[in-house]
Amino acid sequence: MSDRQGDKAQLHAQFERVWANLPGVGTLAAVNHTSVGLRFIVTGLFFFLVGGVLAMLMRTQLALPEQNIVGPELYSQLFTMHGTLMMFLFAIPILEGVAMYLIPKMIGARDLAFPRLGAMGYYCYLFGGLIILSSLLLNIAPNSGWFMYTPLSSSTFSPGPGSDFWLLGITFVEISSMTGAIELIVSILRTRANGMSLRQMPLFCWYILAMALMIVFGFPPLILASILLELERAAGMVFFEVAGGGDPLLWQHLFWMFGHPEVYIIFLPAAGIVSTLIPVFARRPIVGYRWIVLAVIVMGFISFGLWVHHMFTVGIPQLAQAFFSMASMLVAIPTTIQVFAWLATLWTGRVVWSLPMLWILGFLIIFVAGGLTGVMLALVPFNWQVHDTHFVVAHLHYVLVGGMLFPLIAGLYYWLPHVSGRMPSNVLGAWAFWLVFIGFNVTFLLMHLTGLLGMPRRVYTYEAGLGWDWLNLLSTFGGFIMAVGIAMFLLDIGMHFRFGRRAPRNPWAADTLEWAVAMPVTTYNFISLPTIRSRHPLWDNPQLPDEIERGEHSLACIQHERRETWGSDAVTGRVRERVHLPSNSWIPLQAGLALTVVCLGLLLKSYWVALAAVVVSAFILLRWSWHNGGHPQAAPWRPDDPCDPSLHSRTSDGPGRWGMLLTLMANGSLYASLLFGWFYLWTAAPQWQAPEQGPLDLPLLLCSGIGLSLAVGIYHWLTRQLRRGLSSRLAGGLWLVALLGAVHAALLVWVLLAAELNPTGSAHDAVLTVMLGYLLFHGALAALLSAMQAVRVRRGYVSAALPYEPLVLQPFWSYTLGVFWLGLAAFILLPMAW
Amino acid sequence: MGFSRTHPLHLVLGLIVWAVWFVVLYGGVSVACKLAPPDPAAGALTWINTLLMPLTLVVVALLGWTAWWCWQSAETEPLRRFLARTAACLYLLSALATLAVAMPMLFLPPCI
Repeated sequence: MSDRQGDKAQLHAQFERVWANLPGVGTLAAVNHTSVGLRFIVTGLFFFLVGGVLAMLMRTQLALPEQNIVGPELYSQLFTMHGTLMMFLFAIPILEGVAMYLIPKMIGARDLAFPRLGAMGYYCYLFGGLIILSSLLLNIAPNSGWFMYTPLSSSTFSPGPGSDFWLLGITFVEISSMTGAIELIVSILRTRANGMSLRQMPLFCWYILAMALMIVFGFPPLILASILLELERAAGMVFFEVAGGGDPLLWQHLFWMFGHPEVYIIFLPAAGIVSTLIPVFARRPIVGYRWIVLAVIVMGFISFGLWVHHMFTVGIPQLAQAFFSMASMLVAIPTTIQVFAWLATLWTGRVVWSLPMLWILGFLIIFVAGGLTGVMLALVPFNWQVHDTHFVVAHLHYVLVGGMLFPLIAGLYYWLPHVSGRMPSNVLGAWAFWLVFIGFNVTFLLMHLTGLLGMPRRVYTYEAGLGWDWLNLLSTFGGFIMAVGIAMFLLDIGMHFRFGRRAPRNPWAADTLEWAVAMPVTTYNFISLPTIRSRHPLWDNPQLPDEIERGEHSLACIQHERRETWGSDAVTGRVRERVHLPSNSWIPLQAGLALTVVCLGLLLKSYWVALAAVVVSAFILLRWSWHNGGHPQAAPWRPDDPCDPSLHSRTSDGPGRWGMLLTLMANGSLYASLLFGWFYLWTAAPQWQAPEQGPLDLPLLLCSGIGLSLAVGIYHWLTRQLRRGLSSRLAGGLWLVALLGAVHAALLVWVLLAAELNPTGSAHDAVLTVMLGYLLFHGALAALLSAMQAVRVRRGYVSAALPYEPLVLQPFWSYTLGVFWLGLAAFILLPMAW
Repeated sequence: MGFSRTHPLHLVLGLIVWAVWFVVLYGGVSVACKLAPPDPAAGALTWINTLLMPLTLVVVALLGWTAWWCWQSAETEPLRRFLARTAACLYLLSALATLAVAMPMLFLPPCI
């Protein structure tokens, strides 16, 4: 072995030692994005299989009229669980898993920005999913449909625990969607390779950025709705019951504010796969890069303006319906821009019809058809006619299976060699494609007609002779053909790991950076981090993988056993800092388990157990935050700390601050949903009643607000000093801030206790109770975190040389102040002035 | 970078204006119908429509002007030029989307 090869081997061994997962059961403590991403994908496939089996049971029941293979109760559970599993436990998690696996590799980073967050998200997803699935095995699964409309899902009509499983389980699972989204956004914006500006960023990253931002703003309405409905079911508080001043339509609004963007949250990453694969197989750059970026951004916004098109039959005035009808048609425009860009790329390229391209072809045909029926459904009169019929079922499957499953399988085939180092089988893969493609169209193309002939959704059987018999039989036949195709795909994947032929490096001759990684992939991705000046780094420099592997690019060293990657400017991609990342940790698993106990405690109505688990969870999460920055387990200050660029915990604007800002955006979306609920009930609930005199003690609230304002003012002064390098009064100042925050929170408790609210009898009081609880939580948490910062100053983990953490916390204080005064204005002062 | 024509916030500002105006239209019509519902026989010529349509045109004009302003950027550096041109197109699309969503106010009464 030459010296050079020896050095290279030594370097790789060093990186492997620092980045490897723990052996054996220790792999559960893994936090690196490759492991976590793959776990999401495999778990997602498992839930997909279960959801598919439920679909086959339904199709078997509907194959012939007046069958009783599955009774009405079980059938209701089946369609509810099928939708829930496919939307919440398959589509989003698996796409996030793909993104988590790929994004760092595509942007030339070694890991995502918050590895432990991703790992915890996975455990929340796994445990939450298993909790939901267990309800099916116990025959107590939710049965009100995947959208859980009230009052059907309320305690009067669903007294069993089914709805609780849904509400608690899905909210638990949504933690993972949210954590995934936040870490993906921060990673894309702040950890790209040196020089990779927004203009050079792979299109897949634009798509994931848009998807993740949509999750940040789109999921909170459902999280709030689930919390409110669970409070109504478990504690008797009134939000959706007409009798106490609530309104069941509020649920529909909140659900579809999430539910419609959800369709695009699922479609965007899949379209990102399409935009990545088509140029590779057309052997040319994508046509209209900027147009696609533009379409993705437009889609990310317009898709939020469509939610009422799911509610055209609930009695909303025609003009309001027309606003949403127009927006629903508008969203077809950015979709079409992308379709034409893909077609133009194929038209002008030299297309290689490899296996992934077959699935892309299927996507183009099926998704375009689904999009066209979507435009039909955007028209109010047509929508009224086919509402709640099988036409809608056919449409949504064309959009979701065509728009998500086909590109996903194309992507899995395309990136499979990356994971296994082997090529997929063209024969089995092509058979799987044709069976799925034919089976899908036999099932769902005919279902349009079944719907137009009047067959309603969610009925467990139907009378013979209504003209639906042969259509249903053929749909069932097609469903089983599709199921055989899916089985063949999975068989292909399974056999591939053993029998697939060895893949050469970059087997598809792709242009993006993830193919510069060794195959099968290493835990650290790149031994050295390249500078990127082009959208197609591997086409422009085919030698790049070898150069990277020889350590010829930057950061090809390990210092103090730290995991490091570049932190870069969000726009230009220029390197700004060294981001040091946490190593293997049991904390994510501990947090996931503790939160599972919270969820189970609430489900079993063992509230003391749940409360104890909340305390344990809080302790674990605070301990997590303790092992950061200058803590000896993270990156303690050392005389030889790098300074050009510095470690991120020595700066004032590292990824953590971006993560905090994004968390607050999600939080703000939740708060805006609460405000929407307040104003909606106020103006639209049939029996809304507000007392003549506001029930809350205004002077006491003002005192509380003054305490909070003082705390925030002092905190801002402290952080300004810190930015100037002055930290002499930092510890004392932080204690004072914590004290003022505690006074603020204590006064809020006083207001709450003194008000004698009646949340179980009045929606007005119920919303006020939630609002006060929200403010109290924020005030108390801000005070607690500031006290922890004060202790960290004393320990030397925070100082003028380590100013990072107080600056991360600063936006949280500002947010707490903002929601307090906004809440006072909207919930107290406005009703008084009315 | 300052808040110049090439600031990345321009990539989303136009659509944020669209979203806000969409909420104003939907929420505004709902509240107005609650407070002072016009005579259904008046058709589209009600105080609600005649107030909101000109205001919509103001928003559209503002977005259109911003699109033109970004397009005028003399930047030659590729990244800045990319940002300015993309932002200009997004402002223009936001203007068109705002106009399209408000169009039904020309034909439909607001509260029935």
